[in-house]
Amino acid sequence: MALKSTHGPFDGSMSIIYECPTCTMQTAMLTNRAETQMVRSLGVRIGGRTTPEEPMETLRSNLSSGGKESKGQPPSSSGKCPFTGMVNDAIGAAEPEPKKPVWTAGALARIEAIPPYIQPMVKQNVESFAREQGCSEIDEDVMDAVRGTLGM
Amino acid sequence: MSGKGGVGKSTVTACLADGLARLGARTGVLDADLNGPCMARMMGVKDHKPSPQNGAMIAARNAYGVPVMSMDMFLPEDETPLVWEASSQQGAYTWRSMVEMSALRELLSDTDWGDLDVLLIDLPPGAERLQNLADLLPDLTGAIVVSTASQTAMTVVSRSILMALNVADVRITGVVENMSTMICSECGCTEKMFIGAETVEELAERHGVPYLGAIPFNITLADFLETGRSYIEEHAVHPAAHAILDVAKRVHFWLNNQSK
Repeated sequence: MALKSTHGPFDGSMSIIYECPTCTMQTAMLTNRAETQMVRSLGVRIGGRTTPEEPMETLRSNLSSGGKESKGQPPSSSGKCPFTGMVNDAIGAAEPEPKKPVWTAGALARIEAIPPYIQPMVKQNVESFAREQGCSEIDEDVMDAVRGTLGM
Repeated sequence: MSGKGGVGKSTVTACLADGLARLGARTGVLDADLNGPCMARMMGVKDHKPSPQNGAMIAARNAYGVPVMSMDMFLPEDETPLVWEASSQQGAYTWRSMVEMSALRELLSDTDWGDLDVLLIDLPPGAERLQNLADLLPDLTGAIVVSTASQTAMTVVSRSILMALNVADVRITGVVENMSTMICSECGCTEKMFIGAETVEELAERHGVPYLGAIPFNITLADFLETGRSYIEEHAVHPAAHAILDVAKRVHFWLNNQSK
């Protein structure tokens, strides 16, 4: 199998497609954000260890404030497998913060008309819907669409 | 351990470290509360930054020589919250406890404690915490339970005792009653802090575990502990110092009577 393409990382997950050079059959490997993080949380080095273990390595390398200067940080790529190298690179890669859609006054007024205690949850759902639909602005049309799709 | 927050587990841990050290036991303190660590501060070593040496992290030693290891030594500022590196903090419930267990294992095993007779481990609140620790340390000698005489605290503590005995299968060293009375700093009279249907001593008796004694509330104790000096030595005449030493003696006695 030969490496064909990679996608991501998106939202902490990435996929790698391999293709058979003879029959062109393709196989995809997909990382799952939570599973990758769980493996990492156990102190397992994806792709194997290339440097001697340091004391409190998992603790120091997993601390978000201390990880960068930790001596125990694994190399960004390790071993011969391109997949593990990419996964290790993707783990450390900073993902851009998704841009928040802008609310119009009319859409906000409709949010304010619902009970205050569920407003944050509804806002979050509407923003997530807008992002999925590629809308940079949330207006009353988007609110209607949400209502139709999510039954809100 | 106690299961309940705010009963003074960390204060009692620091007091016991002082007491056991006075009695000649080589004592260490591990702060197992990763999210709310305070033992470095309470033992007077908060400015210590651990560094690796010969494949281990050297524990900080306080003024009377007790080695201490705590998560707060790894956090850059006093008020820095513990955040684990991840591609996203969303869904952290799926992996957070796992990374915390790995971190606790490392704090225990990658620390150079020197020669110890006793390692006191200050657990965070939660009845399940002892079970997690017992998974890491199957030969755990015993659990010291801390409670106030508040009936609310005692209900939760009672649950934790049952959890320790029946689920985690850990021996109970005994129950320490914290903040039993308040000693007036003006006239020295004492007043009970909590009044309820059951006393902590009765709670211990009901569960068939030893009652180790009562430590009175003392407004200056916590501040003094932060100096890392021995409260028992420097306030030898204060009733709180006597109480702490009495509890430490009972713990010491219990430890010496455990089969090796």
